[in-house]
Amino acid sequence: MTAIIQLDNVSYRYPIGDEWILKHVSLEIKKGSFVSIVGNNGSGKTTLCNILRGFIPHFHKGDLEGTIKLGGTDMSEYQLGQLGEKIGFVFQNPFIQISGVKDTVFDEVAYGLENLGVAEEDIYKRVEEVLSLVKIQHLREKNPFELSGGQRQRVALASIIVMDPDILVIDEPSSQLDPIGTEHVFEIIRLMKERGKTIILVEHKMDLVAEYSDELIVLDKGEVLMQGPTREVLESEIFNTANIQYPHVTEVALELQKQGVKLNFLPIRDSEITTCFKNDGGNE
Amino acid sequence: MNQNPILSLHPLTKFYFAIFITVSVIIVPNYLFAYAWFPVLIVIAAMAKVAKSFISFILKTLIILLAIVFLMQVFFYPGEDVIGSWWIFELTNEGLLQGLSLTSRILAIGSAFILFFRIVEIKDFVKALEDIGMPPTGAYIVLSTLQIIPEMRRQSNTIMEAQKTRGVETEGSLIVRAKAFFPTLTPLILSSIASTEERAITLESRAFSAPGKKTSLHKLTKRPIDRVLPWVYVGIIIGLIIWRVFL
Repeated sequence: MTAIIQLDNVSYRYPIGDEWILKHVSLEIKKGSFVSIVGNNGSGKTTLCNILRGFIPHFHKGDLEGTIKLGGTDMSEYQLGQLGEKIGFVFQNPFIQISGVKDTVFDEVAYGLENLGVAEEDIYKRVEEVLSLVKIQHLREKNPFELSGGQRQRVALASIIVMDPDILVIDEPSSQLDPIGTEHVFEIIRLMKERGKTIILVEHKMDLVAEYSDELIVLDKGEVLMQGPTREVLESEIFNTANIQYPHVTEVALELQKQGVKLNFLPIRDSEITTCFKNDGGNE
Repeated sequence: MNQNPILSLHPLTKFYFAIFITVSVIIVPNYLFAYAWFPVLIVIAAMAKVAKSFISFILKTLIILLAIVFLMQVFFYPGEDVIGSWWIFELTNEGLLQGLSLTSRILAIGSAFILFFRIVEIKDFVKALEDIGMPPTGAYIVLSTLQIIPEMRRQSNTIMEAQKTRGVETEGSLIVRAKAFFPTLTPLILSSIASTEERAITLESRAFSAPGKKTSLHKLTKRPIDRVLPWVYVGIIIGLIIWRVFL
């Protein structure tokens, strides 16, 4: 797979702060991959997302060093409007993702397509498809400002998916959702990946991260501690020292290992629980 | 499409009507002419089935303003033709005429625009302005400002609740409520300023500044009457000007 996003030695600090929020970040995101950015609060995850989407330096000024390339072209050569067609961004806070100019969910979802100048009949078709995909058809005539947090999060996701960008940057999509809603949203994200989209996800729930991601980028105090395939990262000693929570199944397995239980491999997904234990004389 | 003869008019036809009334009462100095617009506007409001809310809004807002303006003019406008007196105040004929003239114009213009906003959906009006060349940024500012008001009210209630949990008294006498004003207002203003930038980013995430022509699902149609009426307004205004200048 070819790299669609490349960061080389990127550092950034906000205009009102002296501290560098990102320090010498170099990473590569392959086209069509599902990459999760993990790290503790304040590690620079959201700032990195803002850089990947071009909001830094277009909106947040500050000092930005290093080079950022999108599809081999320097990000600075793109207009912000052009980036909107290529990269979709779902915010952590769905309350600010509502445009504020549309009075129904249908119109809200269609808004991005209207801005892109998509033909009217295509807009209707695409919005219908996405409403059905995200399971919010029943909200179509509701005012977006009257929705609950979870409903807004789905509308926010639908509003971005409908624009069909090549890359989706999604910042904590489950922050307002219940477990069933979360699972559903992740199924949609997985579907987007199957359709060839590049997914960049920020998420604290490590069970979900391990379940869906191809690769992990571990951030700590603004630096990339590690980047690699999900299993490789979770099994590494570096991750162990990063003080980030493991997926629950991994935590349980590590605890059992400490108590002498032998493992074939370290499970990172719930589905691996039955195969990870060594068959030691019939004591599976 | 709406079948009501008033509501189904194009937003600009309604807007031009409010402008027409404004210009006409400026051209014609007679207060009876200006006052005569009010019953006409009530009839239009009744045809649009908004008479009740229209009159109620005028009674709640405009009438107080008109009363203050009238009394100020009647008692304080300089004049020599005294027609009555009360305590230290003198009621002059000039003041009375000035009061009637001013209030008649305020009533005509104010009620014309109040009716306009009663019979036009803001999104239709903004779309109409966009169709005649208003930039999308301007359209966004108007629409989002109007949409955001109920959202700010909700936020203000949340802040109020939060301050209550911190021990700030928000209910009681006027002084108690005045004391609670700043602890409530400051976070509301600060959060509104912060959300302005967030909203700009939200717009960009929806390709607001994408190059090329935008599509609009919301369409307005102009019927023959919408093409004729503005010219009727212009014709009447020209007639009034000729009447004022030459006759």
